[in-house]
Amino acid sequence: MSESYFGGIKDAVKTLATGLKVTMKEYFTPKSTEQYPENRKTTLHVSPRHRGRLVFSRVESLDDPQAVKRGLKVGDYKCTACTLCEKACPNGTIKIVSHMETDEETGRKAKVLDDYIYDLGDCMFCELCVNACNFGAIHFTNDFENAVFDRSKLVLHLDKEVYEGGSLPNLIDGGAPLTIGEFNTKTK
Amino acid sequence: MFDFQIVTTWFDNLLRQTLGLGDFWSILIECVMVGLIILTIYALIAMFMIFFERKVCAWFQCRLGPMRVGPWGVFQVLADVLKMLIKEIFGVDRSDKFLYALAPCLTIVASVGTFSFLPWNKGAQVLDFNVGVFMITAISSIGVLGVILSGWGSNNKYSVVSAMRGAVQMISYEMSLGLCMVIAVVLCGTMQLSGIVEAQTGPWKWLIIQGHIPAIVAFCIFLIAGNAEANRGPFDLAEAESELTAGYHTEYSGMGFGYFYLAEYLNLVVISGLAAAIFLGGWAPLNIGVDGFDAVMNYIPGFVWFIGKTLAVIWVLMWVRWTFPRLRIDHILILEWKYLMPLTLITLVVMTACVSLGLTF
Amino acid sequence: MKLSNIEFGFDNFLAEMKKLKTEKHFDYLVTIVGEDFGPEEGLGCIYILENTQTHERISVKQLAKQLGDEYVIPSIYHVWASSDLLEREVYDFLGIKFLGHPDMRRLFMRNDFEGWPLRKDFDMSPEKNQFPMTDEPESDWTSEWNLTKDGELVETKHRLFDDDDFVINFGPNHPSTHGVLRLQTVVDGETIKHIYPHLGYIHRGMEKMMESMTYPQTLAFTDRLNYLCAMHHRHALVSVIEEAMGVELSERIQYIRTIMDELQRIDNHLLFLGTCAQDLSALTAFLYCMRDREHLLNVMEETTGGRLIQNYYRIGGLQDDIDPNFVQNTKAFCNYMRPMVQEYLDVFGDNVITHKRLEGVGYMNLEDCVNYGVTGPAGRAAGWHNDVRKNHPYAVYDKVDWKEITGTGADSMERYMIHIKEIYQSLDIIMQLIDNIPEGEFYIKQKPIIKVPEGQWYTSVEGGAGEFGVYLDSRGDKSPYRLKMRPMGLTFAGAFDKMLRGQKVADLIATGASIDFVIPDLDR
Repeated sequence: MSESYFGGIKDAVKTLATGLKVTMKEYFTPKSTEQYPENRKTTLHVSPRHRGRLVFSRVESLDDPQAVKRGLKVGDYKCTACTLCEKACPNGTIKIVSHMETDEETGRKAKVLDDYIYDLGDCMFCELCVNACNFGAIHFTNDFENAVFDRSKLVLHLDKEVYEGGSLPNLIDGGAPLTIGEFNTKTK
Repeated sequence: MFDFQIVTTWFDNLLRQTLGLGDFWSILIECVMVGLIILTIYALIAMFMIFFERKVCAWFQCRLGPMRVGPWGVFQVLADVLKMLIKEIFGVDRSDKFLYALAPCLTIVASVGTFSFLPWNKGAQVLDFNVGVFMITAISSIGVLGVILSGWGSNNKYSVVSAMRGAVQMISYEMSLGLCMVIAVVLCGTMQLSGIVEAQTGPWKWLIIQGHIPAIVAFCIFLIAGNAEANRGPFDLAEAESELTAGYHTEYSGMGFGYFYLAEYLNLVVISGLAAAIFLGGWAPLNIGVDGFDAVMNYIPGFVWFIGKTLAVIWVLMWVRWTFPRLRIDHILILEWKYLMPLTLITLVVMTACVSLGLTF
Repeated sequence: MKLSNIEFGFDNFLAEMKKLKTEKHFDYLVTIVGEDFGPEEGLGCIYILENTQTHERISVKQLAKQLGDEYVIPSIYHVWASSDLLEREVYDFLGIKFLGHPDMRRLFMRNDFEGWPLRKDFDMSPEKNQFPMTDEPESDWTSEWNLTKDGELVETKHRLFDDDDFVINFGPNHPSTHGVLRLQTVVDGETIKHIYPHLGYIHRGMEKMMESMTYPQTLAFTDRLNYLCAMHHRHALVSVIEEAMGVELSERIQYIRTIMDELQRIDNHLLFLGTCAQDLSALTAFLYCMRDREHLLNVMEETTGGRLIQNYYRIGGLQDDIDPNFVQNTKAFCNYMRPMVQEYLDVFGDNVITHKRLEGVGYMNLEDCVNYGVTGPAGRAAGWHNDVRKNHPYAVYDKVDWKEITGTGADSMERYMIHIKEIYQSLDIIMQLIDNIPEGEFYIKQKPIIKVPEGQWYTSVEGGAGEFGVYLDSRGDKSPYRLKMRPMGLTFAGAFDKMLRGQKVADLIATGASIDFVIPDLDR
């Protein structure tokens, strides 16, 4: 260091004072902690595209192309047990149990889904199964509160469950609005 | 001004005259009482300090700090203490068992020892020697032994490095710390802590005002050196959690660690308390020479003044700690020996000159 | 780029390689790919080299010579210093012994691991590959292998430590190693005498796993390398596959990919600035960075659905179109971010303590940076023009107006400042692109089963911490024959010893902080 002894002191004090000034300013600015879980039903925002878990897409109206083509009713799942998702999955999260059934009217053979087993505990949320599906039968929701006390409870049977939009109100749409550059630290 | 001596005299009379006890019994009972009170206050203050530090640090860092246990997280520390008390204390393989066990005790002894010197109020001081200032430096040096022994005793390479660092650092900074106190002694003409505070009562008599420039410089140096002495950031080299995991107390669990933890916070209180007592007038209220104002200020009890000043100093030290990165060992020594030490000596000379020429307020 | 390999033959190999470096300026050894080429050719290596003046890249293929059960190749340890760890990696995975390499130990696998996992005849049965329940045996000795005049393989033992050496293990669990890296550090007091990096504590065998997966499935791993450069990793892998398949991407995809890459770079640099401060114990500066990174992650999550594991690029385009608010959010973020960078400098970067801690620490000059393959901001701090975005433009980097940032300090402080400047630069790039995202497809539809034609490709991108490259050898199947990733951090680990010899223990932390390495990326 070629700087002088006293010049060094002056510089040091100046930079240290700048640092102190910044922290002092931040001491009085609004804080950034979002208070989950107190805010979970109020100010919590979760991106609608967040991958929380896999669910079956159900027919919502009879205009749905799948419903028209295959004669499905409102509330039916669209899965055809083709096992493309099972094959696409890198770590065997999905197991599909099905049997062949002959339609009595048309005489055509078709696979019928018996059980769609999805092990949430194994899932790595890569979305390959959704990409692989040709029928739009599955999708990810941002329902993220999936903690349970027993691993076996993470094994889900998607065809049997009636999914009603997760544990929080309005979560599927993202919850509270998001403003970039601000935190909502309140719980109400 | 409320004098705490009333309480102590009353209690002494109660023992000696009302109960008719002799010297031995009354002194024994008094000592035990005082010891219990000091330890209780010590523990309570430590808990308060932990909470205070967490909140202050969080606010500097744009966080809210603990919020979960109790309103605003006030019971968080109680939960922590409970956790620490019921944790298993394990020994370390091939460690020096005796030194390993002794080290936390030494640290806590040094910390309680210096803590007892704090002048809480007029007449409320546990230890008050006529060489008080020397005594404080002497007792606080025991804390260094705690650091060295724990580092050496716990059979851990990080701890050894940390112990060496701690020793080097503390021994160096004790010089500045002691000299700063000497500066105050020069100004007050006494080494007794109660005498130093007494000399600061009256309008514009706080040392930092009385001794103006040299006293302010000495105050700053005292804070820096004290911060280093208390092993707190940016001088927490011995602990250096990002380099040496936890330094000398890496291998301690449960209350062994708890002792170090307590001592760390109490050392902060002690340093701030001493700074408040020596430079900011201790329990002496703010008097400006206007009767009405002074009367109101005098009405506020001394311990409130003392605690308030101490907290203010603590807050400043926390502000510093949560702003700056850690220094390296050679920088710390350079700072002490090339900057602080000469500055302290010059300040001492200036102060002596000021006092002898009557240039103080 | 599609590789067309040069072959020199076993006897001329070392001399020709030396010539390439000394006469033709191929100073930068990008990576060494060890490969089992199949029963006809046997084992061998592909060396990818870059000319640091023209940025031309070539690849050299060298088959190993078989001596009984052993395979050997002459070591280039004394030509390119970065080959130290790279050759050890090849030895570890394929069992090729490099003649003349003074430290032929395993690198990622345990010392008592049996077999060579990347050989095609490796027995993968679970019975043979039980999880070991014993401690890893450690030796103070290492081996060097050489051929005698008669062509016999002989071993020379070298000792790693002296009797009096005081060895401190930094890691595998240490607050400042950013993961599970172990640096066996020989110290004299607080002065460092030598550093031996030990890797593999989070080695997941990705390259091996990828050999049995379809191409779309391999993508899932890339986000789990350096978790701060998920986009960059995936960009490299996706590009190499797309290049091999000849997929034409729409402008929209290229624009979005560029923006996402730059957002990810800011994310990475913010965390770098934060952890750099944290390693020097300025926790407050760390939290300021994390606070602002949170906004960035919010912006990205609205579009990608992920914060660390982004999962956004896929072969032929993107997982989904950008969020309707993406443009607006990104602009809001850029405007928010710009003044914040000054705050980091005020509270940490300009601080006298920081300057004292970082200046002159971990010094590595230009020549050594090239020699050790220290790419990315760390290399640019020494003045090395190594930015892949400039040298081998991909996506729309050639259409954007930006300058490569280099420094001259070559020390930790300069590396810190390069990161600061690159945040500004990334903000500039994003602002240039964000309003001009063209309309078009966000995904070019691919066949359900993706097959890549035969050949070898290597593509690299500029990750947050350095060059991240992917080598792909395809035999026309639906899964890669050999896929090798050039991690950003591996060469850094190899350079520690050179950077830090003679410096203090605290400088090890400071250098580690200023060199942006993340262990899952090193270990793969």
